[in-house]
Amino acid sequence: MRPIVHITWEYSPYVVGALSQELGRVLPPLAREIPLLLVVKGDMDGVSVVDGIRTYKVGQSVRTSPHVLIYSHVLNLDLVRGASNAVYESGGASLFHSHDWLSSIAGVYLASSFKIPLIVSVYSTEITRAHAISSLLNMGIYDVERHCFHRAEALLVANEDMRRHLTEHYGVDAGKVSVLKGTTRDLLGFYHRWVK
Amino acid sequence: MRVLMITWEYPPHVVGGLGRHVFHLSKTLVAKGVDVKVLTFTDGSSAAEERIGGVEVVRVNPYCLRYPDFISWIHGLNMLMAERACSMGDFDIIHVHDWLSAPSSIALKHLTRKPLIATIHSTETGRRGELRNDYERHIHELEWLLSYEAWGVICCSNYMLREVSSNLGCPQEKIKVIPNGYEQSSLGPPAPLNRRSYAEDNEKIVLYVGRLVHEKGPHLLVEAASKLRRGDLKFLIVGEGSMKPYLVDLTKKLGVADKVYFLGHVSDAELSALYQWAWMAVFPSLYEPFGIVALEAMGAGAPVIVSAVGGLDEIVQDGQNGLKFLPGWSDSLAYNINRMMNNGALRERCIENARQTLGRYSWGMVADETIKIYNRILGEYVRGTWKPTF
Repeated sequence: MRPIVHITWEYSPYVVGALSQELGRVLPPLAREIPLLLVVKGDMDGVSVVDGIRTYKVGQSVRTSPHVLIYSHVLNLDLVRGASNAVYESGGASLFHSHDWLSSIAGVYLASSFKIPLIVSVYSTEITRAHAISSLLNMGIYDVERHCFHRAEALLVANEDMRRHLTEHYGVDAGKVSVLKGTTRDLLGFYHRWVK
Repeated sequence: MRVLMITWEYPPHVVGGLGRHVFHLSKTLVAKGVDVKVLTFTDGSSAAEERIGGVEVVRVNPYCLRYPDFISWIHGLNMLMAERACSMGDFDIIHVHDWLSAPSSIALKHLTRKPLIATIHSTETGRRGELRNDYERHIHELEWLLSYEAWGVICCSNYMLREVSSNLGCPQEKIKVIPNGYEQSSLGPPAPLNRRSYAEDNEKIVLYVGRLVHEKGPHLLVEAASKLRRGDLKFLIVGEGSMKPYLVDLTKKLGVADKVYFLGHVSDAELSALYQWAWMAVFPSLYEPFGIVALEAMGAGAPVIVSAVGGLDEIVQDGQNGLKFLPGWSDSLAYNINRMMNNGALRERCIENARQTLGRYSWGMVADETIKIYNRILGEYVRGTWKPTF
């Protein structure tokens, strides 16, 4: 089985919110069951083994961005660099799995180029974070989220409310949204539906 | 050899000289046997796919994404262009033009492990003079990243080589200078217009063509007009830009409002007529990576006066194929306008020699030099180890 490539903008010790803790809980036990690679923002480019996972850290190429939408675009260029190296050094991949919109632009690039399915885990959306799409910045982020969600082969969410939210507000087909409790066993079972 | 050329502007969507540059270069490369696909922008008014002069053109419409500012728009366009490129078939080289298409080209370089070549036409530091806010700093850093990621960098003048090398820290060994090309018939025949609508019979025409922005120095021409105080001159200013209200006020303040005529944008046919009537054409830029307008004026038979800056300084040899003045100094410009007015033999010599100058700037030569760079870099790539592993 070729590795599943996880792409995230945060993973311990680089902690911004709860995402790094969630991944720190789920990914290490998962890596003992299936081949898994991790691509994450770091201080500089480098490959190391973190929590038993081969991790491709990418340094930040562009340091100045006027706001988060532009920051996200250039962050994802760095993530593409790390993920492409991960895929070529492994001789391929079986799935790309990105987390929220902040790393899903890279997921879309990678899926389009390597013709490998993209899974996106959605923890929050611009609507749930900002409560309203009231500014052009909100609209810009919402549109990128919607684009990535539609390009993904499958979306993973934690509860039925989020599945309903994605179908109602992002026009996503309910059939491609899976509700997982977030345990290692659940995720493993989900992957086996995609990868033999 | 298969080349994926990425540019944010390409006819019919032309903003500045970049679109015309890519149009002529891609067409000439195809004529010389290179397989070129151009990936570019559309607003929906042009075809998503078409073939122009043997060049396969693929356009992406970014208006499915809303955006708070121009840089966000550019990143959205690049996201969609990179995705689109993945279904355009294989290629050997990625050739990108300026920071505006840098994100997609850098992503594709890593995704495909194919060599990236960048033509850098100008830099943010050069255009602005300084970096004053996070938008300008972001563009500057993207330009740095592009020059860093590129296997080879092409610039249009020795001035730009020094600028890319010093401002972006790009090693000079990575940079190759290929001047822009000039197409003799680019403006077409002159429109049947009445010269008296523009100037009196006894007035010689001094023509300015360019955007009305500080870096092009139109204010220097207005200042020179006030210093000359010659009744036998009329200054025609072609172009639009943010400086226009200031310039109109300046002509009134300096008492030359009746001598300076602002024409705004004009058609190619009208411009062709203006060049034919012009006693001289003046390009007083403070920053000019190349200066294709000077070649257009030379091609139309108008003697040129240029500031000794950037690419203009390399095109013109003072007193041979034009006159040069000290950049930013209107006294020097006024002196040289007088020089051109008072010395008929000098003017004729400049016109005659300018025709020979144009021979150095053909698109065929630009394409030949570009193919040499493609071949050199492909050779290095083939001998190297950085390649797709499957």
